[in-house]
Amino acid sequence: MTADTMTADIESTERAFPRLTEALRAIPGVRSVAARNGALWADAPLLDVEAMAAAMAALGIRLGTVTAIPHPDSAESTVIYHYIDEHRIINVKTCTRNGALASLAPSVRAASWAEREIRDLFAVEFPGHPNPVPLIRPEGIDTATLREAMCRPATVARKPSSPLASPPASPPAPPPARS
Amino acid sequence: MPYSFPLGPYHPALEEPFKVKVQCRGEVIESATVEVGFSYRGIELLAQKRNWVEVITLIERVCGICSNTHAMTFCMAAETIAGIELPKRAAHIRTIIAELERLHSHLLWAGVGAEDIGFHSLFMEVFTLRERVMDTLEAISGNRVNYGMNCIGGVLRDIPDPAAHLPALDALAKGLGEIVIPTFTQNPTALARTRGVGRLSREQAVEWAVVGPVARASGLDIDVRKDQPYLSYADLGFESVVRPEGDVQARVVVRALEMMESVRLIREALLSLPPGPLRATQGLPEIPAGEATIRTEAPRGEAFYYVASEGGASPARVKIRTPSFVNIPAIEPMVMGQTLADLSIIQASVDPCISCTDR
Repeated sequence: MTADTMTADIESTERAFPRLTEALRAIPGVRSVAARNGALWADAPLLDVEAMAAAMAALGIRLGTVTAIPHPDSAESTVIYHYIDEHRIINVKTCTRNGALASLAPSVRAASWAEREIRDLFAVEFPGHPNPVPLIRPEGIDTATLREAMCRPATVARKPSSPLASPPASPPAPPPARS
Repeated sequence: MPYSFPLGPYHPALEEPFKVKVQCRGEVIESATVEVGFSYRGIELLAQKRNWVEVITLIERVCGICSNTHAMTFCMAAETIAGIELPKRAAHIRTIIAELERLHSHLLWAGVGAEDIGFHSLFMEVFTLRERVMDTLEAISGNRVNYGMNCIGGVLRDIPDPAAHLPALDALAKGLGEIVIPTFTQNPTALARTRGVGRLSREQAVEWAVVGPVARASGLDIDVRKDQPYLSYADLGFESVVRPEGDVQARVVVRALEMMESVRLIREALLSLPPGPLRATQGLPEIPAGEATIRTEAPRGEAFYYVASEGGASPARVKIRTPSFVNIPAIEPMVMGQTLADLSIIQASVDPCISCTDR
């Protein structure tokens, strides 16, 4: 997408949904709102998550899910709240502070399982969660199941490799002759 | 004397491992807790350790039933990041496969639901019809499940003779209209076990943020195919099916009528298959840095994908939110105040997919 079309996209979004863009900008901590790849993206490193939940509830927009992306060099994670107003997706991107973010689960039911899963996999704490028990982590296994593995850079070939793609270097040895 | 009863994680009433732990007083359920995570595979992590082509094969295995939805949604996310426009013919073929998959999923569910209420002859009728769908999918893709139809930028296989699949659609429409729908909506046995059972009110549906047929059976008119049309849905036209009752019967009716709409969509897509290429790109895809969020209507409801790329050989992050992940928690309010004997059909009425939920 070129810069021109992106700007036009943002302007048309604001024209079409002035209330939505304005409401997003009014949430404490939201730095910028932009339309990108068919969705609205709000950037808010110091987001007040409870204020966001209240603003979205007032607009009647449901929480779709929450994504966490662990940072390799620290204990922090990027957390994206994906809201859905049925005609478009609204993504609010923030960051954990001391590995934690306030829980939305007391007021937003859909946040409950999403937060429990993120806690299991990436050790992001959600203080205030009414039921912070493991969701997909077996009992006795510590949190952050995937954190380290997900931060490790992938070493993959750009081209798919198949064991059937190339013949073995040497033909298999013939079976021993039966005496 | 109150007592607790664990349904699962391994139980004849469940197709896959999950657990509904209920507290009962006599025959009546007073509270319920759902537990998942018994078949967690870490697909989101594995997706970061494979290249863009291999990930499609991996993602297709998130679910055994709505496998195409996952591969397709992931490809759509990659196409959005790379700015690839899907050819019209590929969009039509993806729509046909997606709707065939919905038919296969709903028929599987209807069969399992019939079995759960002890209606074995209906199970047999439904599964006979399902075989016609599976045969059609096999004829198009070569596979009964995990069709391997999607690639980034298009589809891998053509439908060279669309008219060849029309007789199967006629047989399906006849079987659905004459046997499956009348039996589920008029037969006294089916009605006695489903009407007024496992209610989820409209307010509760909003509160628990359910999606798909579960939401539409509680009066919420939400369907991604209508609200944010993708593929060929805007061209083919789409009517959503909504019922206000919110009980198991409503969920049955929504799925049954949706199948008729799917048959119509497949027929129209086959008859209007546009000429043109199958893929917008050749060779290996180059996905530049960027991120995209995509949602599609899977058979069980809205599937949501967040995909991020750093321009490398593999995705930087793939987040998968399946419809079952938000629908399964709503079993808790549904079973409240219901009898223990209905627990089986109530949990089944959500069409819970544990493979999807656990990923």
